[in-house]
Amino acid sequence: MATAELINEVKEHIIDVLHLEDITPADIENDAPLFGDGLGLDSIDALELIVMLEKQYGIRIANPADGKDVFKSVTSIAEFVASHKA
Amino acid sequence: MAESENSKWAGTTFGTSWMHCVLIKMLRWVDVRVLYAFVAVFVVPVTLIVSPGARVIYHYFRRIWHQSVLHAAWSTYRNHYVFSQVIIDRFAIWAGKKYNIITEGHEIYQKLASQSDGFVQMSAHVGNYEVAGYHFKAGKTLNALVYAGEKATVMTNRDKMFAEMNIRMIATSNDMSHVFALDNALTSGEIVSMPADRMFGSAKCVIKEFLGKEAKFPLGPFNIATMRGYSVIAINVFKTKWNAFKIYVTELPYDKDASRREQVAQLSEAYVRELEKRVKQYPYQWFNFFEFWEDR
Repeated sequence: MATAELINEVKEHIIDVLHLEDITPADIENDAPLFGDGLGLDSIDALELIVMLEKQYGIRIANPADGKDVFKSVTSIAEFVASHKA
Repeated sequence: MAESENSKWAGTTFGTSWMHCVLIKMLRWVDVRVLYAFVAVFVVPVTLIVSPGARVIYHYFRRIWHQSVLHAAWSTYRNHYVFSQVIIDRFAIWAGKKYNIITEGHEIYQKLASQSDGFVQMSAHVGNYEVAGYHFKAGKTLNALVYAGEKATVMTNRDKMFAEMNIRMIATSNDMSHVFALDNALTSGEIVSMPADRMFGSAKCVIKEFLGKEAKFPLGPFNIATMRGYSVIAINVFKTKWNAFKIYVTELPYDKDASRREQVAQLSEAYVRELEKRVKQYPYQWFNFFEFWEDR
């Protein structure tokens, strides 16, 4: 289970790597979709998030089919990170 | 995900699956020049009338090459004729026909292929890139990003040819699994091949001066390449005779210590300049059948 602190940290990393200059962590809903309707990210942003996970947490998404679920929302990313930290 | 305007063009091989099968069987016995003559007389003229791509290519010769009305019309015919030849050649190769192939810069490819790191090769919709896939033997897996909408026969025949050659096709996907597959391939030391001249999926782009006018190029390939500082080459293949192709391999340099934004700017500039050079050499082998430039 991801802590509120980890969720906030993930939001800060997302804002940083994607250069979302006008957005604060509070503007991103924990469970809102990151791609498509929510933050409106696309496949190019997904690339940056892959690198962010690797650089910040040392985690790689080994199975391409898992990618969509991991990057569904901030909560799903944070839970993925938490599960690998555990 | 925002749909790019260029993705309106389907980008698939013309014809039904049974037509493709018949063509392959026919090419086992018939000289390609017989089919070239047939398409020159019966197919290309009809295509020029019914295909929206003909008008696009006519604009290309008028606006980019500043040709007169008659000259551009003739050039449009030539472009469609060469395109038909290239399509026939693709099926001829699947049918087992052999072509003479000359490579410029083969040592660049060999050097990268012999290293343990992955690298990126960027292509464009010019000439006949697929020939490079059949020609090079890297000793490591080549992952080719392909358009998911291609017809079954085309994909099956590519699969058959590529399976023996250590080539894996990764189809573009709405669930973005192709992005993860490309990343995994590169981090495993494999080769990733992507077209870098056509927008699909993401609408993010770099705008470059290309052949005298501004054009959009997809950001994705440049982002993938610079993500971890991979080496990048451009590979362009052109038809030089009825039975011959020339492959150009060119290293695309960029400062791997610069900021990501700067790396993308340098790499995309290098790619566009190389493509521009080749299209100037082979203007009739430009096969982007949509309005490529901004000011149409």
